[in-house]
Amino acid sequence: MHISFLIHNAYGIGGTIRTTFNLARTLSERHDVEIVSVLRHRDTPVFDLAPRVRLRHLVDLREDSPTYDGADPAYRRAAKVFPAAEGRFGQYRELTDRRIAQHLRRIEADVVVGTRPGLNVHIAKQTRRGVLRIGQEHLTLDTHSRALKLALRGAYPRLDAVTTVTEADAAAYRRRLRLPGVRIEAVPNSVPAPALAPADGSGKWVVAAGRLARVKRYDILVRAFAEVVAQRPDWRLRIYGGGVEKAALRALIDELGLYNHVFLMGPASPLEPEWAKGSIAAVSSSLESFGMTIVEAMRCGLPVVATDCPHGPGEIIDDGVDGRLVPVGDPTAMAGALLGLINDDAARRRMGRAALTAAARFDPARVAARYEALFGDLLAQQRGNRLRGALHRTRGALLSGASATKDAAVAAVRGVRTA
Amino acid sequence: MNTPTQAPAAGSDDAAADAHGAARTTEETADDLKADCIADSAGGLTFDLNAPQGAHTTWSAALVLRRRGDAADEEVRLPLGPNGAGRLRAVLPSTVALDEGRWNVYADLGDGRAPRRLLPGVNDLRSLVDRRPLAGIGRLGVRIPYATKLGNMVLRSWLRGPHAEAGDLLVQPDGMTVSGRLYGAAPGPGAQAEARARHAPEDGGPRATVTVPLTVEGAAFSFTLPYAEPAGHWRRGTEPWDLWLRPAEGARPVRIARLLDDVHDKKQVFTYPAMPVSAAAGEVRVGPYYTLDNDLALRVAGPAGADGGAGA
Repeated sequence: MHISFLIHNAYGIGGTIRTTFNLARTLSERHDVEIVSVLRHRDTPVFDLAPRVRLRHLVDLREDSPTYDGADPAYRRAAKVFPAAEGRFGQYRELTDRRIAQHLRRIEADVVVGTRPGLNVHIAKQTRRGVLRIGQEHLTLDTHSRALKLALRGAYPRLDAVTTVTEADAAAYRRRLRLPGVRIEAVPNSVPAPALAPADGSGKWVVAAGRLARVKRYDILVRAFAEVVAQRPDWRLRIYGGGVEKAALRALIDELGLYNHVFLMGPASPLEPEWAKGSIAAVSSSLESFGMTIVEAMRCGLPVVATDCPHGPGEIIDDGVDGRLVPVGDPTAMAGALLGLINDDAARRRMGRAALTAAARFDPARVAARYEALFGDLLAQQRGNRLRGALHRTRGALLSGASATKDAAVAAVRGVRTA
Repeated sequence: MNTPTQAPAAGSDDAAADAHGAARTTEETADDLKADCIADSAGGLTFDLNAPQGAHTTWSAALVLRRRGDAADEEVRLPLGPNGAGRLRAVLPSTVALDEGRWNVYADLGDGRAPRRLLPGVNDLRSLVDRRPLAGIGRLGVRIPYATKLGNMVLRSWLRGPHAEAGDLLVQPDGMTVSGRLYGAAPGPGAQAEARARHAPEDGGPRATVTVPLTVEGAAFSFTLPYAEPAGHWRRGTEPWDLWLRPAEGARPVRIARLLDDVHDKKQVFTYPAMPVSAAAGEVRVGPYYTLDNDLALRVAGPAGADGGAGA
């Protein structure tokens, strides 16, 4: 298969970029894979790109580049195809609309995969016939605004499949967007096996990692750890990451007198060596669209104590087997689960080993195989449709025609030109 | 050997030293050499790297450590030999003394080309995290590899004997209690902790020193330093005090530092509250902090916090 990913900016740093590079690397072992980056602002990507994966860009924003596009008048006018309700709308312009359209009209691939809602809308509307159209959702439907959901409802019927990172989000897509004829499938993000030995559970450290943002609720974790320290002052907590909450967390740590026990470590990359220094991982978020750090910690042999927040943690952790799930926003419950693992060396080590085994299902090889199966299925179905298409209006064609009509109606209501 | 207490200006240190070291852009290329580094609990380091394709390493291949700063051309070469298919390995044993400072890391493949700056791969430093050597150790060597802001590999090295390792600090409204462990010296009668003003007073008098008795139990020590006296010496701005330990009466003083873990730069990670203290010259804020060399110090800062976190 020839598989083409469409990504916002492959040269930046972020979860979507990392997971796309991981998936592309594994798929490239058996397929022809390219990543097309809408924007390019630096010469080389931050994350390691597999040698067999081709990378190119559509709009060049490097000011010192001979092909710099930032001065193009079409780059100054707002986008019309990329949905205005999408979070990245500000970075999309008439020029990106045009370049993406050209790319999708001429695309040689068997499968094109969009990596965010706005790009999925482009793919739905502009990809030439005969190419499988896949839209990935890396966040969740619930976190999108009403306006964006409306835009997706208008365009997504022309996709062949939407993939989400959790079953819960797939269910939300099926229930709320009602996309007839569009396959909705949950395929988790992949995390490669770490390049170092797993943790042995002997260190007296709890480790957390993520942006120091409100949604991560590290204040709850710090308060929980005050309860842990009251019982087990020999255990300590490291929180990796940077962000706007840093000063508030620092103040909370000092207020609770935890400066000998809770440490704000700053950002670390790669994270694997930091997980391996701990014996338990903690996630206190109020929302995790997937829960990449949970899988990373488990792949390093750590049992994870996580909040049972929407959507990821509950689908990754088997409570009491390879980690613990606790209610959101409850420091005492989190402290209780941490102390349970701290006070029981055997259980901690057993759950750590179980986590290591269970997390293997997120290996890039296993995740890529699920994508391969999905693509293979849909391509076979498409070929079948094409054979019958001359004589019969197949179910798929009928449905896609119906959605296109509905789509046009929705677009007309919004006063937007359809592609 | 004790370290200078004057550290370079905060912040500029990595960037400037990188520019001074090897010229390289921030962009990585396929030609980059990345080294994975594993630490053992005795302080030894093992470096593993992928042999560059098509490179023929020779008997003279070496991992080259060059100390930064004006100690011109101080260099340590470690044999770099094959280690399985396409891999090269060099070892820095704990027994090889490395002068205190920051060391840039290069690979000389023995191919006639200039040594190439190494980038960090995976640094597995778990055995350093709660490092606790035997107290009788004569001279303590600590080496922590890390990445500079530009992504180059650097080894931070300390070499101390005796050494006073700071552990938990307890900050109270009127002073702080430091507990720690002494290496390479046995505490005796007259053991004390000393806080020394880093700057001399403007009237040209001697630098102030505040001493407090040391409580010892085996190798473990603790002392309580009341804030009143350092606060009383305050005149203006931010005045740092460096903390020393004298193991016994007449013994050579030892700098108190926190070195025995995997954190190369303690200053941002190990931070402590500053307490308001009334002094003759007004209200000041007093609190402990770690210098850029991970030595323990006390900061007495004036009101308005005009230069808030200053002091190395």
